[in-house]
Amino acid sequence: MRAEMLIYIYGAICLSMIGFNLLYNLAMKRREPRLEKQCEKMKSEVMRQLDAIRKSGAVQPDHLHNLQRRLQKLKNLMAFDRVMQPLCEGARDDAVTQYLAQIRPAMLYLADCYRRRDATQAAYFAFLLSRYIIKKQMPIDSIQDVLLGYIQKQNLYCSVNALQALCAFGDAGHVLAALKLLDASPVFMHEKILTESLLSYAGDHDDLIRLLWMDIDAHSEQMQLAILNYIRFKTDGYQQEMFAVMQDEGKDKELRLSAIRYLGRYTYEPALDALIAFASDRDLSNWEYATVSLSSLVRYPGDRVMDTLKAALHSSNWYIRQSAALSLEARGVDYGSMMDVIAGNDRYAREMVTYRLETQRLQKAGGRR
Amino acid sequence: MMDAFKTFFDYVNALFVLYMIGYASFLFLAVTVGSSTLYQAKRRNLLKSELWGKYYVPVTIIVPAYNEEMTIESSVRSLLALEYPLYEIIVVDDGSRDSTAQILQKAFHMQQVSRPIQRKVPCRQAEAVFETHEFKVPITLIRKQNGGKADSLNMGINAAKYPYFICMDADSVLQYDSLERIVRPVLEEGDVVAVGGAVRPCNGAEIQNGRVVSYHLPDKILPCMQVLEYDRSFLAARILFDKFNGSLIISGAFGLFKKSVVIDAGGYDSTTMGEDMELVTKLHVFCREHNLPYHIRYATDAICWTQAPETLTDLRKQRRRWHIGLFQTMKRHRRMLANPKYGLVGSISYLYFLIYELLSPYIEIFGLITIVVAFALDLINVPFMILFFLIYVAYSAILSLTAFFARIHTIDLKLTALDVLKAIGLCALEVSCLRFILAFTRATALVGYKKKKNSWGRIERKKIQFK
Repeated sequence: MRAEMLIYIYGAICLSMIGFNLLYNLAMKRREPRLEKQCEKMKSEVMRQLDAIRKSGAVQPDHLHNLQRRLQKLKNLMAFDRVMQPLCEGARDDAVTQYLAQIRPAMLYLADCYRRRDATQAAYFAFLLSRYIIKKQMPIDSIQDVLLGYIQKQNLYCSVNALQALCAFGDAGHVLAALKLLDASPVFMHEKILTESLLSYAGDHDDLIRLLWMDIDAHSEQMQLAILNYIRFKTDGYQQEMFAVMQDEGKDKELRLSAIRYLGRYTYEPALDALIAFASDRDLSNWEYATVSLSSLVRYPGDRVMDTLKAALHSSNWYIRQSAALSLEARGVDYGSMMDVIAGNDRYAREMVTYRLETQRLQKAGGRR
Repeated sequence: MMDAFKTFFDYVNALFVLYMIGYASFLFLAVTVGSSTLYQAKRRNLLKSELWGKYYVPVTIIVPAYNEEMTIESSVRSLLALEYPLYEIIVVDDGSRDSTAQILQKAFHMQQVSRPIQRKVPCRQAEAVFETHEFKVPITLIRKQNGGKADSLNMGINAAKYPYFICMDADSVLQYDSLERIVRPVLEEGDVVAVGGAVRPCNGAEIQNGRVVSYHLPDKILPCMQVLEYDRSFLAARILFDKFNGSLIISGAFGLFKKSVVIDAGGYDSTTMGEDMELVTKLHVFCREHNLPYHIRYATDAICWTQAPETLTDLRKQRRRWHIGLFQTMKRHRRMLANPKYGLVGSISYLYFLIYELLSPYIEIFGLITIVVAFALDLINVPFMILFFLIYVAYSAILSLTAFFARIHTIDLKLTALDVLKAIGLCALEVSCLRFILAFTRATALVGYKKKKNSWGRIERKKIQFK
């Protein structure tokens, strides 16, 4: 009878879950009209303040207090989000910009308030700050300090939103502090997310890069990789530094490969010999260096480069052959100039070149259609 | 003699009480954890806990096809409508005897190329490769010698350009945002080697541009019961296994894999009928034996719509195939059982699949036989037996409904009153009738399975209505 009792208990719990499902569904059905009502109220309130700004240049005296009180409730914050979204899309009205500037004290209060909530609510508030509230270089350092607290919450979304909010502020010092906190945090953040966040930085990229480079070795390898990739997308002024990274055998492989990619994007004559040496390396354990170097050689002129690319077509490594063929294709070589390979004895080289030339033809045909 | 029977039945009773407690507890845990996870995900969604940037991981979609002339064109068109910028499509025609390849060549203006393909994992020889670059993403068709689904997937892996690949069935449709959703775990955790998508029967759903525009339970009873079964057995259980990195299966209809790890592990095994489960189990073994940090995740919001079999014959064929695949995988990786090296995967996941999936049809049929024998010997309390059976039916039905409603409510699908009544009525029928029919099918699945080990499981295809 005990087993039967156990099943009765389980059944009762499941029945209560079905009850929960039904109640949840009912609540959801009611939630939307209620949220709509709250949005209407919030909208009329915000519009009243925008009118006040247009007339007198300032929000009404009790508005900040009301916002502080009302936006502590999550449903009101959601309503505020819905009201602000269309106002902040595209080119902002001057009144909206002024409104956002004037409600900063309320936002600062709320930022501190939501920092103490659970990670999902904190992440949501950080999201709002990054999307609607922060305008480039608004000098409210206190919010930025609070956002650094959000980064420490050990929740990916909270950290991402806070980092993006900080990038939207455009203050290099706070971004650097955030990256240091992220490095110390157990939360994993993919280098793609880090690089994209840095690319969204609203301040002067050269200043940020200068600051990041000064302290680059203090970061983890994953963070260094994100920074190197960011630099590759933003500036051509780091060839010498990247060359040093590429040549440093003590550096992580991914960092050196990133540096090679940089020197492929922004050519640097002193790096040519080293790139050719990587591309010609017969040691197949270094095939990744060879493959990336072959891609990077595309923009370097000269017969030496052409000879290196052609020689790499005969490599026993498939990826090296493919990379060489892609680079030759990117340099615009045609059947005529590749005749020696196409008519040659190396079947693998011939197949790879023929295939790339066919692909080139298909891509052109696809583009025409 | 009678005493011996009584002793025997006492032991059988004890065995079944333990078996039922284990099963009821697992189902209970799976459904409660599964439902609460879905509700948490819904809340996170409401509060915009998403990755909003354009973080795109390049992905190759591999579509193995064998005699798919009915569905292949609409399937590829549906893939072209996915809202994701960085992917390629590779269709591998496994020596079809119909005009699968010709239909694709004509529909997408494909041209033959002399593409060299590196054999990183073993597969049969390619006969011809066709490509087109006229569409949003490149499409490749590889026609190869017949070698089975696993062999075709291996060919796709060999030809894939990108570091992650997705395997899917030619008769399935991916939801418009499924790629973005399935790669998210890769961005969230650094060591994800595979992600399973949520496979849902599309019978009854109308899908336009990868979006569900109307949803109701299928008109036919059999697919309708499968909808309920998918939610209870697959959705809930996989969420539970995901909690401790213990998923042993990612459906062949929709899964994402890290190519380099799959290649290192040896790719798909073409000697098994359950290549999807075998690969995932092999990845666990490979990563644990090489001390590689890894996660195998389940993305509940990455949705793939698939055709559930509409006839009992097709359904039995499908389940027979699944059971043989399960048997082969469990047998091949038997060293995982309760081996501390494999952690919770060996002690919980493997044990669950062994007892409640592989052996369950035999245990259930053994149970039925003992009931008949006990009845013949007048050693059974019939009213109690009926009461217990009714409790079991009610309990399983309640769990099915819990999982079903949780899924429906958390993805904002609207049901009619008729659908709700249908779900309530059919969940009882599913656990009291269909389950026993499928138990018998699974119990007999291993008879003569070696003869058909490399064949494609064929079920009757319907043209996909992709608008």
